[in-house]
Amino acid sequence: MSGKGLRIVVLIKQVPDIEKVRFDVETGRIDRSSAPAETNPFDLHALEAAVQLKEKLGGSITVISMGPRQAESSLRDALARGADRAILLTDKRLAGADTIATSRALAAAIRKLGGFDLILCGEKTVDGDTGQVGPEVAEVLDIPHVAYVCEIREVTDDKITVVSDMGDKYLYEVKLPALLTVTRELNTPRLPTLRDVLKARKKQIEIWDADALAQYEDPDRFGIKGSKTIVMKVVIPGVEHRKGIIFRGEDAAEKLLEVLKEGGFVKP
Amino acid sequence: MREEILSELRSIVGEDWVVTGEDRIQGYLYDETPPPMLPKASEDVVVVKPGNTREVSEIIKLANRYKIPVFPRGGGTGLVGACVPTLSGIVLSLERMNKIVVDKENLIAEAEAGATLADLIKAAEDAGLFFPLHPGDEGAQIGGLLACNAGGVRAIKTGVMRNYVKGMEVVLPTGEILTLGGKLVKNNAGYDLMHLIIGSEGTLGVITKAWIRLQPKSAASATIVVPFKDRETALKAVPAIFHEGIIPLAIEYMERDLIEKTAQQLGLTWPCKEGDHQLMLILTETSEAALYDACEKLMNLCERLGSLEPLLAESREEQETILKIRSEIYSALRSNLIDILDTTVPPAQLVELIKATEELGKKYNTYLPVFGHAGDGNLHIHIMKEEGWTQEEYDRLRDEIYKKAVELGGTITGEHGIGYTRKKSIQKYLDKKALELMKAIKQVFDPNNILNPDKILP
Repeated sequence: MSGKGLRIVVLIKQVPDIEKVRFDVETGRIDRSSAPAETNPFDLHALEAAVQLKEKLGGSITVISMGPRQAESSLRDALARGADRAILLTDKRLAGADTIATSRALAAAIRKLGGFDLILCGEKTVDGDTGQVGPEVAEVLDIPHVAYVCEIREVTDDKITVVSDMGDKYLYEVKLPALLTVTRELNTPRLPTLRDVLKARKKQIEIWDADALAQYEDPDRFGIKGSKTIVMKVVIPGVEHRKGIIFRGEDAAEKLLEVLKEGGFVKP
Repeated sequence: MREEILSELRSIVGEDWVVTGEDRIQGYLYDETPPPMLPKASEDVVVVKPGNTREVSEIIKLANRYKIPVFPRGGGTGLVGACVPTLSGIVLSLERMNKIVVDKENLIAEAEAGATLADLIKAAEDAGLFFPLHPGDEGAQIGGLLACNAGGVRAIKTGVMRNYVKGMEVVLPTGEILTLGGKLVKNNAGYDLMHLIIGSEGTLGVITKAWIRLQPKSAASATIVVPFKDRETALKAVPAIFHEGIIPLAIEYMERDLIEKTAQQLGLTWPCKEGDHQLMLILTETSEAALYDACEKLMNLCERLGSLEPLLAESREEQETILKIRSEIYSALRSNLIDILDTTVPPAQLVELIKATEELGKKYNTYLPVFGHAGDGNLHIHIMKEEGWTQEEYDRLRDEIYKKAVELGGTITGEHGIGYTRKKSIQKYLDKKALELMKAIKQVFDPNNILNPDKILP
């Protein structure tokens, strides 16, 4: 930790409201117009952790997001909730990125900031669901990371102690700077005040394009060009609903047994 | 119930849909009325589940022939025992009639009586539209919502259930099927029988289908919690909000200790930790710009009125959490509850009603938790169990509250209706002539008094 308290970076992503969004079964694409965009709910817990640490230890919070211009609204939300500075990475050359190309762009942006002590992200996003970007950013930056953090125990000048929940719970002590991905159990994000939301509407969001990051990473390694994986097909599982069947007559028991066998509920 | 009647019922709806036997009918006897107020259901009851309007009509005709009481039943979410079969008879559950078709062009949902509020909300949403009302429990059914003219939280901007019904199909107590209104915006053909049936609590007809007005989805919405140090400032803020030109979908008044306790019981956290008295506002606007414009106005107003710091929720999840906690206050109180009242006064008189309630609480040395729909003057006052009290003491306290509400230009019930539990009070607080007319109307509709007898009218 520097003399100015903890310099925290929070990585956030704007996602469609996953409970409302519709999928096009034919193309396997998300119909983004079908649902409002919001901040990935996991990321709000990362931001809340950052605000709590800042309240305790002092310091600063910078939020970074990569995405289209409309993601600005999520960054404004983060400013209202207590972030000091907001940066949007947006550029056609950054678009279509898989997790590794995304991580490179985010890591380049973090390097460009000049110095940091702690990076916080949600354990995964509700749209991609991979949980890879956080740990990959740590790898690109060559710093330690802990995933699925459900408790932050202690932060000292050069170390952080956390509990990670991977089914079983583990206690970790890692050197700073480090990256944590956090679970929803870590905290309850507070609501922003109306006053702060209105103030955040007038604040500047910094926009960085691929050129702005070129000093820290080869732009050819961003976006679709720099991606090692592509999405070939998305299969949307159908939804099974409960149903009732009434059996009657003398062979009702036999018919019922047949249905149970077909469903694999009893051995044939 | 006589076997020949059961067998006739079976021939109308089919073997599977005539239900007898103590354990099988148990779930059809009661509703959400606080247990101390709940009337006892008759043990000689058969539950019949028709699949269409024609079957409903035949059941009613049969009931008329044998003079058997029929108790129409929806989701069983009522609070005044309106659906409880207090006499031997037929419980008519419309649960199988649950289809909803949305006519997007006309912004109308054609909903069968047994479809639930949750079904309606979803059907509207699937069509890219919106049903603005939220009368509490989403398991409530369309038939019941209409029969009881449900209100709930989001009634300020666009009204109660009545304001959303454009037409309905109803089976009269004599068995005829009648279609009233339709997908019409304007209709002046004679007396409005439809609106007479809405709010009649299943005494004038069995609603089988309704055409319900939907709205375009509002582009932007936010839920705001405004904390206040004292109750009076909180309630005086309500008319001031309207004067500012802000018309929220909902303005709820609540007290922090109660809402925090509710949240805790749900395993959730109430977001606003300051101010003992709070207002919850739901704003919906046609654009984000309009929403923030309203927010700016509200912020300025709050500063002028001296509120504490308002909080704002914009994401669906955060807004839903707030509404969920608010909607569950009743559940949190229920275990220790004698009665939940829904006295309603002109909105500006709400302060006086709450003050009077506070005084009554002191006079009777009891805690009277209150929360309510501050925007429409509808206050839920809760009478809680007290060690050593007799029924008489509860009744006396309730009557004093009613008296005060009526003195302030209000009514003893703005939402829950009369049902069974308030029959006595209605006699006292409703105009004699009005009661006489109501009785005469009931007689015209239902000469044999078979449909939900023993309800509303003393």
